[in-house]
Amino acid sequence: MSVREVLGEEPEVAMAEERYRVIGEILSRVFRGARPLTLSDLLDKAFLNRYLGIPIFLTLWWALFRFTFDVSAPLSDLIDISFSRLGEFASSIIGNEWWSAFVSDAICGGLGGVLVFIPPIFFLFLGLALLEDSGYLARAAFVVDKILRPFGLQGRSFIPLLLGFGCNIPGVMATRTIPSERDRILTICVNPLITCSARLPVYVLIAGAVLGAYAPMGVFTMYLLSIVLALLMALIFKALIPYFRKGRRAPFILELPDYARPTLRSTLTHMYERGILFLKKAGTIIFLGIIVVWLLSSHPWGAPLDQSYIATLGKWLEPLFRPLGFDWRGAVALLFGFIAKEIVVGTFAVFFGLGEEAEIEEVQRSIVELGVFTPLTGFAFMAFTLIYIPCLATIGIIYRETNSVKWTLFTVIYGLILAYLIALLIVVIGGLMGLG
Amino acid sequence: MERRLSELNPGESGIISRIEGRGEERRKLLDMGLVRGTRITVVRRAPLGDPIELLVKGYNLSLRLDEAEGVYVKPVE
Amino acid sequence: MREIEVALIGNPNVGKSLIFNNLTGGRAHVGNWPGKTVEKKEGRCIHKGVTMRIIDLPGVYSLTAASIDELIARNYIVEERPDVVVDIVDASNLERNLYLTLQLLELEANLVIALNKSDIAESLGYEIDVKGLSELLGVPVVPTIATVKVGMEELKDAIVEASKRGVKARVRYREDIEELIERIGDILRRDEDLTRKYPIRWLAIKIIEGDEEVMRLIEERGLIEELREVIG
Ligand SMILES: Nc1nc2c(ncn2[C@@H]2O[C@H](COP(=O)(O)OP(=O)(O)O)[C@@H](O)[C@H]2O)c(=O)[nH]1
Ligand SMILES: [Mg+2]
Repeated sequence: MSVREVLGEEPEVAMAEERYRVIGEILSRVFRGARPLTLSDLLDKAFLNRYLGIPIFLTLWWALFRFTFDVSAPLSDLIDISFSRLGEFASSIIGNEWWSAFVSDAICGGLGGVLVFIPPIFFLFLGLALLEDSGYLARAAFVVDKILRPFGLQGRSFIPLLLGFGCNIPGVMATRTIPSERDRILTICVNPLITCSARLPVYVLIAGAVLGAYAPMGVFTMYLLSIVLALLMALIFKALIPYFRKGRRAPFILELPDYARPTLRSTLTHMYERGILFLKKAGTIIFLGIIVVWLLSSHPWGAPLDQSYIATLGKWLEPLFRPLGFDWRGAVALLFGFIAKEIVVGTFAVFFGLGEEAEIEEVQRSIVELGVFTPLTGFAFMAFTLIYIPCLATIGIIYRETNSVKWTLFTVIYGLILAYLIALLIVVIGGLMGLG
Repeated sequence: MERRLSELNPGESGIISRIEGRGEERRKLLDMGLVRGTRITVVRRAPLGDPIELLVKGYNLSLRLDEAEGVYVKPVE
Repeated sequence: MREIEVALIGNPNVGKSLIFNNLTGGRAHVGNWPGKTVEKKEGRCIHKGVTMRIIDLPGVYSLTAASIDELIARNYIVEERPDVVVDIVDASNLERNLYLTLQLLELEANLVIALNKSDIAESLGYEIDVKGLSELLGVPVVPTIATVKVGMEELKDAIVEASKRGVKARVRYREDIEELIERIGDILRRDEDLTRKYPIRWLAIKIIEGDEEVMRLIEERGLIEELREVIG
C-alpha cells in the first residue's frame, strides 16, 4: 500500500483530518461542555456592528493616539529640559571648553535625545497592551482590513501607520502585531512616509514664511501627500519588488479571542518588555548618531556653523540641490533634519545669527528677506522634508525591527530618491504654470 | 447541496465537505480546524462586508471572503 | 548543579508570556533568532536544585513550516532537542490547541502540558478530566492560571520530573497510517546519521504529508529512490 492508496490524492489534508479525528476521540472521553453565549458575543454585537463598528473603531484609535502623544508630551518636555539644564550645569563646572561642550551638547544632548522618546513609547505600548489584552486589537484589524487590502497592506497594518503620525518609532515597533513577515516589512518600509509630529514645525515655519494666505493649505497638503504616498508606495512595492510579490499571498487568518479584562500584570509586562527593547537597541544607535553629528557641526573647533564640516558638506552638496532651488542652507538644514526633524527650525535660526531660541516670526522674516525660498521652492522643501530619510532614530528602529541592513538601506534610499523626484516635480510643474 | 462558505449568510451553519486550493492557504485553514466534517457557522460580516467572522471548534475566526470561497459546506439548520 | 533546557511553546494568546515571566521572574535576555526578525527570549529558573534554561518559542498554531515562526519553532525542537518542551494549552479552546500538541508528540518532544486559562474554561462551564487527558496523551498535564500564578510550582515539579524520565508518549493514528509510518521509518532507519539527528516518526509523517523541507532533506540523503515505492 502506498501513501496515495491509503490517504488519497491529498495526504496533507488527510493527515490534518486524522489529527482532528484523534483529538475528537480524546475529547469525547475527557471533555464535557459546549460554548455558551458569552459576554464577549454580546460586546461584539456592538463593537462589530454594521453601523457602530466603524465609529467605535475611529473613536478608540483616536483615543489611543491622543493618549500616547498628549499624556507623554509634558514628560518628554520635562526630560528635554532636565537634560539641557544638566548640560548647562555640566558645562559650567568643566573648565576645558571642548570637554564642556562635548559633555553638555553631545552627551547630555544625546541622552536627552534618546530619553525623550521613552514617554511616548511606554505610553504607546501601554495603550496597545490594553487594546491587545482586552481583545480589541484583533477586532480593529477585522474592521479595517478591507480598506487597506487594495494597497497590499492588511488589517493589522493600520495601527502602525496611524501611530506614525505621532512618531515613526512607535509606528515601526507596533508592526510586531503583524505575523506575516512580508506584510510586516512592507508596513515598516512605508511607515517613514507618514508625516510624524516632528515634521510639523518645519512645515509651519516654511509655509508661514513663503506661502502667505495659503500656508494652512500648504501644511494640510503635506498630510494628504503623506497618506497618498504611503499607500501608493505600498502598492508599488507590492507590485514590483520580488520579495513582496513572490510566494503565495499570506492568508489573512485572524483569531478573534474573547474579550477579557486586561490584567495589570500582563499589561505592564507587555509594555515593559517592548519599551526596554527600544532603550537597549535603538537607544544606542540614536545616541551614537547624535554624538557624530555634534562632532561634525562643531568642528573645526571654534569655527562658526557655516564653516563647520557639516556646512562644508552642505556646500559640497549644493549643486545636487540646485535643480530644486535649495541653497547650501537648505541642504544643511536637511542634513540636520536627518538627526531629528526638530532641529531643522533651530538650524535656520542659527544661520541667520538669531540663536536657537529665536521667535519663529523672526526666522520667517529672514527667510523672506534673504530669499532662501520662493513660494515654490519652499513648498518643494516641505515635500522634501516630508519624504526624505526618516530621522536617525527611525533608521535605528527600522534596522532593529527588520534585523536587516538591506531593508534599512532600501527604506533610506527610496525615501531620498522619491523626495528628490517629488520636489523636482513640484518645482518643474510649478515653474511651467508660472508659479514661483 | 454544496455551497461555498462565502455564500452563507450570518447565522447560517454548514458542515465542511471539502477545501479547494493549494499550498499555504489551505494548509493554514486545515491547521485552524477547518477540516471535513467540521461544523462551521458564519457569525457576521465585518462592517464593510469583508472579512467574515466564523465560529468553528468553539472559537471565533476571521477569514476574507476570497479565502472562504474555497471552503465548501453542506448547509445545516 | 544539573542544568536543563526547557522550551515554551503554544498557540498565540494562550498566556505564554505570562508563564515565561512567572517561571523566570521576568529576567530575560532578549535577542533575535539567527538572521530573523523574530524575537528570542531566554531566561532562567532554579527549582529543586535544577537550573532550567527557559527558551520562549514563537506562538504558533501548527508546525507545518508555513511561516517563519513555525519554522523557527520546529527547527529548534528538531535540532536543539530541548530536555523538556512545555506546551501551553488554552483550556478554554482545547480542540484547536491540541492540534499543536499532537504535532509536538509527532516530534517526540519530551512534553509537559500546562493547561492554562483553566479559570476561563471553568467559567464557560467546561469540565475537563485532567487525569484522563494526561493518560490518553501519555503526557503530564498541569492546570494553571497564569494571571494569578496558580499551578506554577506544580509545573516546575512536572518539568524537573519529565527531564529525568524522558519521552513516554505516543498517540496512535489510524492503523493503516501507522503501517505507512512504520514502513517509511524502516527505510529511514537504514541511514544511521539521519536516525541520530532526527525523530524518525516525525520524518515519516512529514514525508507522507509531502513537507517541502523534509523532502529536500530526504533528497539530499539520497533516500528518495528507496522511498519511491511507498510514497508513489
Ligand atoms: N483569565 C486568564 N487570563 C489569562 C491567563 N493566562 C493569560 N491570560 C490572559 O491572556 C492574554 C494573553 O496572555 P499572554 O501572556 O500575552 O499570551 P501569549 O500571547 O501566549 O504570550 C493576556 O490578556 C493575559 O492576561 C489565565 O490563566 N487566566
Ligand atoms: Mg506574548
